Amino acid sequence: MADKLRTQQQLESLQNKYIGTGHADTTKHEWTSNIARDSYASYQGHPPLLHYMSIGMGQPMEKVRMHCMERMVQPVGPAPAVED
Amino acid sequence: MANVQATQAFYSLTLEPSSAPTAACTCNVIPGLKSQDQQIFEARGQRILLHRIVENEDRTEVKVSTFLDQDVFGIVRGVSAFRIPGTGTDQLVVSSDSGRVVLLNYDPDKNSFKRIHQETFGKSGVRRTVPGQYLASDPRGRCVMLASAEKNKVVYIVNRNAEGGILISSPHEANQWASLCFAVCALDTGWEHPVFATLEVDYNDAENDPSGEMYERREKQLVYYTVDLGLNHVVKSWSDTVDYSANMIFGVPGGQDGPSGVLVCCEDRIYYRHDKSQPLSIPIPRRRGATEDPERKRCIVAGCLHLSRARHEFFFLLQTEDGDVFKLTMAMAEDASGRRTSQPESMSMRYYETFPVAKQMLLIRKGYIYIAAENGNNKLYHVNDLAEDIEFEPQNYFTSDSYSPDPEESYEALYFHPRGLTFTSLAVDIPSLHPLMRTQVANPLNEDAPQIYAIQGTGATSAFKTIRHGLEVQEIVSSPLGAIDYSNLWSLKHRASDQYHSYLVLSSDYADKTIVLSIGDEVETMENSPFLTTRATISASLMGDATLVQVHARGVHSILESGTVNEWPVPSHRTIVAASANERQLLLGLSSSELAFFFMGDDGVLNQLEEMPEMSGKVTALSVGQTPKGQMQAKYAVVGCDDCTIRVLSIELDSPLEARSVQALSAVPTSIEVIEQIEPDSGTNVSYVHIGLQSGLYLRAVIDDVTGELGEVRTKFLGARPTRLFPVSLADSSSCVLACSSRPWLGYNHPLSTIYTLTPLVMAQTLDAARGFVSEHINGLCGIQGSNLLIFELGSVEKRLSTETVGLKYTPRGMARNPWNGVWYVVQSEGNTLSRETKKALRAKGDGVKKLEDGDVKMETADGDDADMKDTTAPAADEENDVGETDRHLGLSRGLGHWASCISAVDPVHAKAITSSIEFGENEAALCVAAVAFESRNWEVFVAVGTGQHLGAAAGADVQTKGFVHVFRLVDEGRGLEVVHKTEFPTPIYALLPFHGRLALGVGPELFIYDLGMRALLRKSRGLAVPNQITSLQAQGNRIIAADVSESVTYVVYKSTASSGAPAGAADRLIPFADDTIQRWTTATTMVDYETVAGGDKFGNLWVVRAPEQASKEADEEGIGGFIVNERSYLGGAPYRLELRAHYYTQDIPMSLQRTALVAGGQEVLFWSGLQGTLGILVPFVSREDVEFFAQLENLIRAEEPPLAGRDHLMYRSYYAPVKGVVDGDLCERFSKLSFDSRQKIAGEVERGVKEVERKVQEMRGRVAF
Repeated sequence: MADKLRTQQQLESLQNKYIGTGHADTTKHEWTSNIARDSYASYQGHPPLLHYMSIGMGQPMEKVRMHCMERMVQPVGPAPAVED
Repeated sequence: MANVQATQAFYSLTLEPSSAPTAACTCNVIPGLKSQDQQIFEARGQRILLHRIVENEDRTEVKVSTFLDQDVFGIVRGVSAFRIPGTGTDQLVVSSDSGRVVLLNYDPDKNSFKRIHQETFGKSGVRRTVPGQYLASDPRGRCVMLASAEKNKVVYIVNRNAEGGILISSPHEANQWASLCFAVCALDTGWEHPVFATLEVDYNDAENDPSGEMYERREKQLVYYTVDLGLNHVVKSWSDTVDYSANMIFGVPGGQDGPSGVLVCCEDRIYYRHDKSQPLSIPIPRRRGATEDPERKRCIVAGCLHLSRARHEFFFLLQTEDGDVFKLTMAMAEDASGRRTSQPESMSMRYYETFPVAKQMLLIRKGYIYIAAENGNNKLYHVNDLAEDIEFEPQNYFTSDSYSPDPEESYEALYFHPRGLTFTSLAVDIPSLHPLMRTQVANPLNEDAPQIYAIQGTGATSAFKTIRHGLEVQEIVSSPLGAIDYSNLWSLKHRASDQYHSYLVLSSDYADKTIVLSIGDEVETMENSPFLTTRATISASLMGDATLVQVHARGVHSILESGTVNEWPVPSHRTIVAASANERQLLLGLSSSELAFFFMGDDGVLNQLEEMPEMSGKVTALSVGQTPKGQMQAKYAVVGCDDCTIRVLSIELDSPLEARSVQALSAVPTSIEVIEQIEPDSGTNVSYVHIGLQSGLYLRAVIDDVTGELGEVRTKFLGARPTRLFPVSLADSSSCVLACSSRPWLGYNHPLSTIYTLTPLVMAQTLDAARGFVSEHINGLCGIQGSNLLIFELGSVEKRLSTETVGLKYTPRGMARNPWNGVWYVVQSEGNTLSRETKKALRAKGDGVKKLEDGDVKMETADGDDADMKDTTAPAADEENDVGETDRHLGLSRGLGHWASCISAVDPVHAKAITSSIEFGENEAALCVAAVAFESRNWEVFVAVGTGQHLGAAAGADVQTKGFVHVFRLVDEGRGLEVVHKTEFPTPIYALLPFHGRLALGVGPELFIYDLGMRALLRKSRGLAVPNQITSLQAQGNRIIAADVSESVTYVVYKSTASSGAPAGAADRLIPFADDTIQRWTTATTMVDYETVAGGDKFGNLWVVRAPEQASKEADEEGIGGFIVNERSYLGGAPYRLELRAHYYTQDIPMSLQRTALVAGGQEVLFWSGLQGTLGILVPFVSREDVEFFAQLENLIRAEEPPLAGRDHLMYRSYYAPVKGVVDGDLCERFSKLSFDSRQKIAGEVERGVKEVERKVQEMRGRVAF
């Protein structure tokens, strides 16, 4: 029993530390949101990629960066209503 | 050692590093310089650089010189500099993808970066929650904050101990779950506790609310984090809601200098916010003009602060997305006694200038503004005026007085008039290549080496560039000297102590005569010169103090200062064939293979050595060493004979003409020069012998000072003609060699890399001979081109590429070369930009609208008039040459959802201009182009352009995104274009390819083959090729390679009815037969051979894939009855899978790849160019030993010198997929920069000498590229 508790605690600390660490009840929405947020963060973090997009969109890099940041707030729409 | 290079391996080299800046800051890192004299610390791609601004005394010549440039093998994301109180120079901080913060110092003695601290705070890689995205340092140099896009922030406190060492604290975290960080800046709090401000959005509520209501009500917070230096922790001390569109924050000076707090830049507005002061707000003025949308809101994209600590004055320069720069100042409230308080009362903005949109704008205290431009050349502007005169342009001056700081409240927009440069002037335009859209290596002029043709830039600054490897030359004089060709020239001083040259002796072997020109204010023929003019001269020189020695075939003619002429006749039946002299020694080679040696005494008389030793063969070239400073005689001479040998002889008086060593050559030496040059390693002077051979080869070897042995031989092929060498010196008096073959080359120690470099000079015609030329006004070189005398100067030798530019109108997207001549067709399109038609229409009705608009905004009448005048002049200029100067400066008119596009025929070879241009209307954007010879039209070449209409339109909008293929007929030898017809397609067309006298094109995932009809293109074949969207097509034989936007490449075989003998009417078939296992978001591909494809993807990888042998064979079976037709699809894809042969992370996004040779006589390499301006090559290894050697060397350097920013090199090169079959040449080239001990150690490990390793590394580059 103690083992199980410890595993639980370890998992929780991991989940706290690393966003996106899944658990048994991860929903599709959580999972896709995470992936989308990771992608948007990666676009901003790789300067050539941001540059590429900014040229394609005809917008300065700062605006594209803002766009990516903004999309991170809710990347895949609102969470589906919880059925109880 | 596990060898993963089982098959072909490549050696990756960067020819030109990326020029796109990611971050920059000003710093003071050189001790002893004034604080005014700031340097620039800049990050470009994976490099960090330090620049200095060098100006001459009267500031007429300014240049930005890079004095340190280091590859850190990591993605640099932010740089910052700060001064720890009590230290002499600035500390540099680099945030990268290494999950570490790195503190650097500049070491002026070694000219290198010194890593002071490297602290790990997280995982490596660009991750959402690992800090590194944002970097801010306290203005008083006490701490730095790194933040990630989400959640994590880490603060390091830095201080100095008593011994002057820098201490760094353990990390202090300030993490906030589910909060996104939009911007970070450091507050100026004077000497109170440091505070960092951030813009944050908490998404936790929105995430958990299914109704979407919380999302609508989300807020952006301005958060203060106070670093408590006493308690040693970081606390969130204040937060307040700001305008949701906020994107950038700037710290306002505090303490004695100002109110502290932050400027919050939002869409259309700028706020001043602080926890201790009242907020202020001012709108960002919008552009006024007929073609400007009055409703379009701008935001700030870059900015910088100027603070005068002495006068407690400051202002901001803020740049909008259009490039307009505003000067923002703040006025303080005064207290009852009239003293300035720290409560700000109002803000005012003044339109300052329009600059290119900056990634980072830096104000340098010397009075310059450095624009690290997002696209195009980086620029340095000289500040002439700070726009402090309020009377000037009152219509461009705005204050915050009547604006409420409440974001909810509505307000009236402000408008200003953009104009040309007024307060600043362009001081330096630093040539850059970013963004590099496409390149093509071609040689339409049949020059020695091919040129790189590139389309580059965005918007109005786009350009078609011809890039050559070579130094630019400024021609000063080019004058014909009659009908005869000259073969050699010498520039001579009258006395050894003279500063300037006085005589120019030209000799013609063909006419057997010599002419003498005198150099004064003008260069003119000297009628009665003391020189012998009836014979050709073999050598002319100034010996002793003032004796002019002219050697001709029949004797030596020496002219003493007194005017006395001594003549030494050649012994009978012999002639002189070669001669060389230094200050005291003269060596002659006679036709009888004998050598004659002379030594000049103090009286200026030549004394001959009686002994005349005979050489093994006919003497073809010889050279005596330069007289070392402070000595009478040089030690060695080198003599070359026609039996393909050179001999080193001692020419010291006590052992004259004693042979010391012999070296065999591959061809007859035609020219030899012994020159003392600085050896960059030790900094001492070393004698080098430079040898030019009949075969066009050039060799350089070191003469051992003691034994006279030759060593460290380096070879390079220069051109088709015999190489002739001429010692010259540069403006900074460093000695170098000019080697003339079928083009002239300069050999010099590169100022930045200190490696001996050979670079051609860019000239229309080669030089026959060249010498130094120093007169009162010119410090350059003179040379002979046939019968022409040329006087020229060399520009900077730092840049090894020279560029010719043809301006384009919009961002270029693709180019195609006319197969018959040097004309390129460039398609250009610009998103969110008004097309020419729309602009014309707007201008036509502009007058009426403007009156109304002026009334609306209640502009004073005077300003209205002003505006009208400006707008009437603008279109006139516009119609004449499409893009007027103003447009080029201010940028194109923007309009959301609009596309401007055109196709231009560019002749970069003869006309060096756009020869014809056709605009596309109806919101079309040209995307790709191909020059196709249609078989059905008797192989007449047409140009096909793929376009997209209403690109980027949202789903459900009232317009539909679709595509067209336009066909143009060529007129006037390809220089003109004529519309033939256009064909509609359901999706935008991204790829076109000439294929078997027809046109192959990709429509979404499908591949089509079309023929040219009268009214439209006619479909001949169709096949489903890739899963999503074809972005690039290549073909060899019947094999087509289709690249998908996200799913790598697919090999398709074309089975035509003609070849299969199938009954007429059976359709031609396109059968995909091999695809890839990894998703690669392909940007560019090229076929390396029939089986192999090299490509690049959007994440910066280069890869080489190959079809398995069986698949390849099966696909090529005759007819459509073969196996391949009936082969079953494997796992939902094609029947076969491609094998990965090589994979390499380059960071930059490859946009073009090409298999080509880059230098004359060089092996073929895989040349690629990246979006951010990188030019690189992959060199295939020829021998297995080389692969092993370089793989081992790479490994050892990796271990010996881990990359500066803390990234693991192997991990970095394996960013998305493990590196395979590629050795990083850039890392191998770090070898020569390592410390002596490290080099010794590594050389020992690979069981070779240090010099040999260096030679191998340099040869790897020199053989195939530059």
